[in-house]
Amino acid sequence: MKSFEIGIGGISLSLALFVDVTNSKELLELMQAGTLEPEVAFLNASLVPVVFPVLAAAYKTLVAKSRESLTTRTLHSELVYNYSGSKHISESLKRCGISDSTTYILAARFGASSDEMTAIKGHIKGTEIGLDELETRADRAQIHKHYKISVPELGISSVSDAIICRISARDAL
Amino acid sequence: MKLEGIEGSLILIKQGAEARVFESNFVGRRSVIKERFSKKYRHPLLDSKLTLKRLNAQEARCLTKARKLGVSTPALYAVDPLLHTLTFEYVEGPAVTDVLLEFGLHGIVEERLDDIATQIGDAIGKLHDGGLIHGDLTTSNMLVHNEDKAVDLYVLERALLSMHSSCGNVVSSHHGPYPCCIQEILKAVVCNIEQASSSATKRKKTHNDRMSSSPFCPPGYVKVLCDFGVQ
Repeated sequence: MKSFEIGIGGISLSLALFVDVTNSKELLELMQAGTLEPEVAFLNASLVPVVFPVLAAAYKTLVAKSRESLTTRTLHSELVYNYSGSKHISESLKRCGISDSTTYILAARFGASSDEMTAIKGHIKGTEIGLDELETRADRAQIHKHYKISVPELGISSVSDAIICRISARDAL
Repeated sequence: MKLEGIEGSLILIKQGAEARVFESNFVGRRSVIKERFSKKYRHPLLDSKLTLKRLNAQEARCLTKARKLGVSTPALYAVDPLLHTLTFEYVEGPAVTDVLLEFGLHGIVEERLDDIATQIGDAIGKLHDGGLIHGDLTTSNMLVHNEDKAVDLYVLERALLSMHSSCGNVVSSHHGPYPCCIQEILKAVVCNIEQASSSATKRKKTHNDRMSSSPFCPPGYVKVLCDFGVQ
């Protein structure tokens, strides 16, 4: 688990990575019922090659929150929505969030205390691993498909930068 | 200088006719913030068409398109519709202008010049094939990054215009003519600089004078050509 300063209002983002998760269905149900405490974002970790794009999505989320202009219902669902780089809300939450069969999850929470992070870890039935494993475990094919990254683009950019450009430019396109 | 509404201090690195560029930090990474400002002297009808919102959106779109075409640009980290700012990746490296100045002062490194010329030609070729018009092609808008890597077309001013491809596939897909043409232009540039600096004492003129734009020179791509006396 690691915390990152986003640079808005002094709020940090805590991230924790899990493999072999067996209760995704349960987590999804609890989340949709609104009874999962504390509030947390579950990202499909296969789409996360490195931490930086998640931080860019977090930045965008905090800016929107500070201006009272969230598109989705909660701060954490907004993070998942922003990470997708797509304007389609439900599709974004489905693709970048978790499904019943997801076993590889990145959990994220804004301004989390260590107690809160412990509580979140308690909910997840899986093994926590280091964030440095993101690179090797990322599903490149899935990333290229979801973000529609072309071969020429890969020649001049890292996957991380390609994702960030889509995250930041989405609302301008 | 503090940019209102943004946390942390910012350092102004350049001010152009349409925007100010600051150095900043984006979630721990060195970044560049480009802040556009409105021009109050403009005719209101024109101004409404050239709103900052539209220009920023245009720049974001064109940058995205350019990257898809395989043209190297700085990564876009954030767009702020309220403050009219764009946050980019900070790209390390000299502008092509400065590299040429170096050649003028200390001699041309043929290999390096060839490499830069080829990459410029490739990049412009890719833009044009994809229906994008840069609109402000000048060596001061190009950065040489990582010596052994690509030349990034980084633009400080409003730059990329999108062209509808309704005229069909007019532009040929091979980039043959571009590298040669640009090679010649760059060589001419360097010769002019050498000439200017060698007779500097006699005519009391520095190479900067040669490089300054003529007031009668049309903007954009042609600027490069007329500055350096090439037809």
